Amino acid sequence: MDAIDYHALLPEIILAVTVLATLLVDLFTSRKSFAAITAMIGMFASFVAILTLAFCDNLTFCTSTGDRVLFGGSFVVDGYAIVLQGLFIFAGFIVVLMSVGYLETDRYYEGEFYFLIVSAVLGAAVMASSRDFISMIVALEIVSGSGFLLAGWRKGDARSNEASLKFFIIGVLALALLLFGVSLIYGLTGTQVFSEIAAASSSVEDIALFNLGAIFVLLGFGFKVSAVPFHFWTPDVYEGSPPPVTAWLSVGSKGAGFVGLLSVCYLALPSVTEIWGPVLWLVAALSMTIGNIVAIKQTNVIRLLGYSSIAQAGFMLAPFGAAAATGADLSQTFSATVTYLVIYAVMNLGAFAVVIIVGTRVGSYELERWSGLNTWAPGLALSLAAFFMSLAGIPPLAGWFAKFVMFSATIGVGSWWGYSIAIVAALNAVIALVYYLKVLKSAFFDTVPADLDVATLEAGTVPGPTSFAIGLTAAAVLVLGIFPGLAANLGDFSSDFLATLGL
Amino acid sequence: MTVTISEFFKESANWAFLAIAVPTLFAGWRTVTSNNIVRAVLYLVVSLGGTAGLFFMLGAEFVGWTVVLVYIGAVIILFLIGIMITRAPLGQEADLSHAMNVKAPAALLSTVVFGVITWAMIDAFGNNMIPPFEPTATSDLSLLLFDRFVIPFEVVSFVLLAALIGGIAIARQDEEVVS
Amino acid sequence: MTVFIEAAIKVAVAFVFIMLTTLVLVWAERKWVSDLQNRIGPDRAGPFGILQTLADGLKAFFKESIRPTQSIYLLYLVAPIAALIPALLIFLVIPIGAPIEIGGTTYTLQVMDLNIGLLYVLAVSSLAVYAITLAGWSSGSKYPLLGAVRASAQMISYEAAMGLALVPVVLLTSTTSIAGIVDAQQGTFGSFIPAWNIVLIPSFIIFLIAGFAETNRPPFDLVEAESEIVGYHTEYSGFAFALFFLAEYINVFNMSALTVTLFLGGWAGPVPSFLPTWIQWLVPVFWFLLKTWAFVFLFVWVRATLPRMRYDKLMTFGWKRLIPVSLAWIILCAVAIGFREFGAPWS
Repeated sequence: MDAIDYHALLPEIILAVTVLATLLVDLFTSRKSFAAITAMIGMFASFVAILTLAFCDNLTFCTSTGDRVLFGGSFVVDGYAIVLQGLFIFAGFIVVLMSVGYLETDRYYEGEFYFLIVSAVLGAAVMASSRDFISMIVALEIVSGSGFLLAGWRKGDARSNEASLKFFIIGVLALALLLFGVSLIYGLTGTQVFSEIAAASSSVEDIALFNLGAIFVLLGFGFKVSAVPFHFWTPDVYEGSPPPVTAWLSVGSKGAGFVGLLSVCYLALPSVTEIWGPVLWLVAALSMTIGNIVAIKQTNVIRLLGYSSIAQAGFMLAPFGAAAATGADLSQTFSATVTYLVIYAVMNLGAFAVVIIVGTRVGSYELERWSGLNTWAPGLALSLAAFFMSLAGIPPLAGWFAKFVMFSATIGVGSWWGYSIAIVAALNAVIALVYYLKVLKSAFFDTVPADLDVATLEAGTVPGPTSFAIGLTAAAVLVLGIFPGLAANLGDFSSDFLATLGL
Repeated sequence: MTVTISEFFKESANWAFLAIAVPTLFAGWRTVTSNNIVRAVLYLVVSLGGTAGLFFMLGAEFVGWTVVLVYIGAVIILFLIGIMITRAPLGQEADLSHAMNVKAPAALLSTVVFGVITWAMIDAFGNNMIPPFEPTATSDLSLLLFDRFVIPFEVVSFVLLAALIGGIAIARQDEEVVS
Repeated sequence: MTVFIEAAIKVAVAFVFIMLTTLVLVWAERKWVSDLQNRIGPDRAGPFGILQTLADGLKAFFKESIRPTQSIYLLYLVAPIAALIPALLIFLVIPIGAPIEIGGTTYTLQVMDLNIGLLYVLAVSSLAVYAITLAGWSSGSKYPLLGAVRASAQMISYEAAMGLALVPVVLLTSTTSIAGIVDAQQGTFGSFIPAWNIVLIPSFIIFLIAGFAETNRPPFDLVEAESEIVGYHTEYSGFAFALFFLAEYINVFNMSALTVTLFLGGWAGPVPSFLPTWIQWLVPVFWFLLKTWAFVFLFVWVRATLPRMRYDKLMTFGWKRLIPVSLAWIILCAVAIGFREFGAPWS
């Protein structure tokens, strides 16, 4: 038994301790916000640990160099793991900030809510470091399980119960398909460690069962990222869950699904891009198109954001489709997806934070009630505009760089796989503008509905933690938009390991 | 080397396999198609028992008895308790079947998928034989669990904790904290 | 082929043994309870009433079986059989005595010795819950259903406690096979204290209490007490009821035997070497029976003495007292054994 590198495990250990501490603090204190504070302190500490791992070379007490490989290669801390773990912790932090204000407005189980969020962050963090199927699926279980439970947290609301049940039933179906695919791959290659599967895949790639297994695995993860045609659960679940939970699902849960796809496609199956490339090309094209077109007709802002997240998932899947070309530079497509994911997470979280505030103030998430937002909450309207324009991809907000990176990766591949998906993406970016602008038009240029009392609306305040969350994400969106090099560096850092694998 | 039908039936292990696998498949099919929910659960018990039997045939004694202990002995009991307390009318048939316009495409799709997977499996593994093996020692299993796979092991404990706490929070009957 | 013959003989012997034991057990219980209650008890059927059980069995066999029309016929008939089978299956792994040498081959006095015998015992005892659940469900009436749900919940709760209590035993003996556990208890600590697993006192106590609850014996017998009309066997009469009854008493013997095997050394005991060989083989069996019947007496004594536990207190006791204690004890044992095996982590 080798010695365990505890520094590599430090973020996960801190998160695990935070999970238990949140529960205990909630048990022994009466004020519920203490549990939230515990959760936030723990996640902050874990983020600091991630930073020490990232900047290990510059720190005197950090001795090991390069990527850290533990347990025979099934747990690895490299650039990819660091970037994504940091992303999940950040997302969890923002979601907890958002929930503090929301959960106080009504009677919920608060301590357990924060406990489940931190558990989900722990699971997602372990997923980012997992390099074999068993660890990845077990970590996926936490993310999924807590997602199912959190979706039904509004116990008295039938929509919430429906959301939870729908999410659960479709979720376990996807998990079953995923496990079946893993078992087929294991049966053919004799291993479930990604690097060993990659080594063995050249000898088994002609066997139909291997293709079938790989496709089942992609189906399982495709559900998690709500790609078409596995997206049918997304609008109902997003609408029914409590909005902070929706924010987590759209960023953290989706991100976990992308971690799965990235790991499987680029680590386990890098030499058989002809299996997953075309499938994901089709899925990406469908997701972008259907997500955008159906979003145009939505009247409920949360459903609209749900369909928008489907479309954004399509944009993120586009580089996968471009990688189908032979001789494609996989590190470029990989870093494109990771960069887009990071930027998307930041702007989507911010968008949800603003949407939650406005929705609770107005009392409804229907678009027609949001007319004239600018008259009674100009600050909120401005931040709403910032986040939605970022989602649409307008400079100088971060979204433009995400789209830019995606286009340069797909076109840079230099084959018709890339060109075609880039054309579809460009068309869809234009279509997406329609519904993002629709919301903003309603907020800025329409008049307040007659039955809403402007005075009471103006008098409402934004809870402190939520305004901090909005501020953080807005600042991040602006900074990443004006200094895109930061995001590009993150993307390149995360794809460094592919260079060592010779791709 | 390809195995012919007569060679297949000469091995007693193959007879045992058929004796376990055929009831498992039948019970699995009846679980999905049964009209009475308690009967469906009991067919599931048979199916899980068959799965445990298959594990025993592969020498995985620990896993097999764990399937019996956990799945059959706890999970299904909870299904039955839940069904009995909440919905099932006593001593009568409950109607669970869907309309034909839902059943027919579902049946067709599942048959097609089954056919494709079976063909692919025979194509990939049709010539393989399981070599003779020793039953797995529990000590080997536990060494693996606590050495190589300790991270999934610890993460699984968090899965169970989250499911437990979240489940209690959702299923509780509460007077004060409710939304 | 000889394997099959040997197995068949062992199964037959075990079956006869358990049936006779149960016969005596039912009579012994009635006699002991009556002694504790200062009355005479059965003394008409045979000398000291020893054939009373047989008489009751025959009576039950010939009694009319009344079956509710709303009951589900197949499950209604299967449930008593499903109660009997796990009870018999558990007995198969219990070693009654030391291995015997006949003509060069060693025969173990244990019908089968599985490598994971302990897990097998837990798994099979969890199957016993099905009989109760199905009995209550198939009776087609409300009272058995409620009783069955309560009984199932009680049994699975105490199964968890039982399983957790057995983990330190496995930690101490590093084997899950029952014969291995008995072998590990041979020998002594400091040459006069037998090396029995009872040093794991919390495990022993928790296992014993859980054994009471698993077999639905007093003080955990709320679901089958005569004064309660809510019970899973309310709608059963005649032979089917007799089968439930039989299964319960077999389980009493099983639990006692398991407690003795796992914690008190099984058939271990001093064997005087001056006795002829054929008596020497019987001495371990004698020790085993002595210890087991001591625990059977304990079961009967508790029945006659302690009042019944209310259902919610029963569940609270199982979940909030026994399980945390057993978990804490597992951690303590693991730390202690870790120190013994690997030394201190700071050295």
